[in-house]
Amino acid sequence: MSRVVSFEGLWCVFEHRSGQLVNALHDVNFEVQPGEFVCVVGRSGHGKTTLLRVLAGLQPPTAGQIRLGEVVVEGPGADRAMVFQQDTVFPWLHVRENVEFGLRALKVDDEERESTTAHWLDAVGLTDFADSWPRELSGGMRKRVALAAAMAVGSDVILMDEPFGSLDYFTRRNLHDVLLDLWEETQKTVFFVTHDIEEALILADRVILLAEGKLVDDIPVDLPRPRDEDVRASSAAVDITKTILAHLGITEEEATQV
Amino acid sequence: MTSTDVLDVRAKALREKRRRRIASIIYIALGITLFFVAWVLLSLEASPWHYDIPPPFGAVGPFQDILQGVWGLFQGEGAIAHFWRNLGTSQDMKIKFVHACPDLHPANVNNPFRQIISSLMGWKYNADNLLPGQPSPVPIGQLPDYCYGYGIHLLVTIIRILIGAALGTIAGLAIGLSSLVFPKVAQVFTPVASFFGTAPIFIAAPFFVIWFGVEVPIMTTIGLVTFYTTLLMYFFSRRAAENIPVGIVESALTLGGTPRSIFRWVYLPGTVPEIAGGFRIALAGAWGLGVLVEVLGIQVGGGHLIDIWRFLIGQLQAPSALVALITFYGVLAVVVDGILLVLIRYLTRWSEAGRRLGL
Ligand SMILES: Nc1ncnc2c1ncn2[C@@H]1O[C@H](COP(=O)(O)OP(=O)(O)O)[C@@H](O)[C@H]1O
Ligand SMILES: [Mg+2]
Repeated sequence: MSRVVSFEGLWCVFEHRSGQLVNALHDVNFEVQPGEFVCVVGRSGHGKTTLLRVLAGLQPPTAGQIRLGEVVVEGPGADRAMVFQQDTVFPWLHVRENVEFGLRALKVDDEERESTTAHWLDAVGLTDFADSWPRELSGGMRKRVALAAAMAVGSDVILMDEPFGSLDYFTRRNLHDVLLDLWEETQKTVFFVTHDIEEALILADRVILLAEGKLVDDIPVDLPRPRDEDVRASSAAVDITKTILAHLGITEEEATQV
Repeated sequence: MTSTDVLDVRAKALREKRRRRIASIIYIALGITLFFVAWVLLSLEASPWHYDIPPPFGAVGPFQDILQGVWGLFQGEGAIAHFWRNLGTSQDMKIKFVHACPDLHPANVNNPFRQIISSLMGWKYNADNLLPGQPSPVPIGQLPDYCYGYGIHLLVTIIRILIGAALGTIAGLAIGLSSLVFPKVAQVFTPVASFFGTAPIFIAAPFFVIWFGVEVPIMTTIGLVTFYTTLLMYFFSRRAAENIPVGIVESALTLGGTPRSIFRWVYLPGTVPEIAGGFRIALAGAWGLGVLVEVLGIQVGGGHLIDIWRFLIGQLQAPSALVALITFYGVLAVVVDGILLVLIRYLTRWSEAGRRLGL
């Protein structure tokens, strides 16, 4: 079921009102194997969101293409469910109905829809809140709803654009565990955008580094899981951190100054 | 905190809720009292509006003499009593007006449903046929009693306005929401709506009456109310949909949302609070608009009653129930609005903001 995701000569150029042309993506080429956990890392404004939006089919590329297996991405679809940075849970639907949305759109029959929904609500630990309104939940719980909704539609690729950026540290760490459990269970391919190197080290199999829209490095993260404090303090992990910082144009002195 | 403490907190919250409910009832009672006090004051002999405004009640009971003699209060028949007495059939109208309800023909006296339909549509009877055409004056005695009552006029108005508001809401929502799916609709309709929307509808109303004529109330009352609600609901539904964050729609798309499912699960529920709020505004306007148009010359309806009473006051010194009519419409509007509020609260229970908007 899972397919290789290929980025082929991808360009995305935006023309601003001022006439200024911005290369949000600059000839990006790489391939992701099924089941990989890829973190896309880069400074703010360097094309991370654009890369994910093109993959989601929400933004047409200026040139090049993305393929899932043999299929070229041409628009949004349930095979590439996305969890957004901002709160995108439907406030007018109960938690359960939120998770059901994609299944209803796909016209899954009632019985299967109910059991699938129950499964994913359980997987993110929200079974007791199935009949709550989103406004009654905390920000972290709403992210769980979004995650369950994305998982429930059964896509083989999950896209996440700084999904936990607005959460506090402890909630974020907690959601990392939830996400990794789901990933290990489902073997889905995950694209996870972040500007937080620690987050990338906790999650990624592989870090794709973007700078000014260009893919500047593709770093395998061969660290044992779980990536606890000890693992992240190992010399291999520190080397990866240094490589990333160097690419982001931040030397160690600069990093300590900030 | 022990579980008894929790119960205590709950009881406190319940008491608070009850206290707020009692307070709101007191405010409503206070408002009603003030309304009647103002009415009584305006009807006093010292008031310049004394001739136009009868007192709400006639004096009854043990203080009758003191009230009437010393303070000059509550002279004659109260407006409410007059209104009530004339609701089913009005002797005043029977005696003084041949044309109390000329749309209603004796051939159909036993069929009130057809009569209401015909007066709604502005159809006139001629001979035995139901036809659009000129009204033929119907001699007194040939019409059933209720044709001379105030009630039939009010009923006709209420039905007209509700039909107009319902049609307009359906049309406005259909155009507004479909314009989200088909941008062409918006390109065509927005300029039209903006053009007519800029002219205040109460100013445009007399022109409608001139264009469509008073003989065809379906075009004037229903038509105007429909037109007005369509415009408002178009704007409200578009604005409501535009206020749905783009991110939410994009999220729905990446979850496999089809146009149909996004309409059903995103746009429809997401726009309900603003649309419902808009509907309340539209309906409030529709009451005024409907009655106003009838005052301008339509032969049947609550607005026509105002016309009749104006004439009564001037010519015959007969009691006017004008203020009673206003009270009637006021109570009606409050009741309908209350029902709407309950409905809106139910539909927007997911959102605090929507709840506030509904209030
Ligand atoms: N819709 C858009 N219109 C114009 N410029 C855009 C648009 N989206 C992104 N950009 C530009 O593309 C660049 C990359 O943006 P983005 O992908 O959002 O960066 P990141 O997610 O890494 O912070 C930025 O310079 C931004 O100004
Ligand atoms: Mg971004």
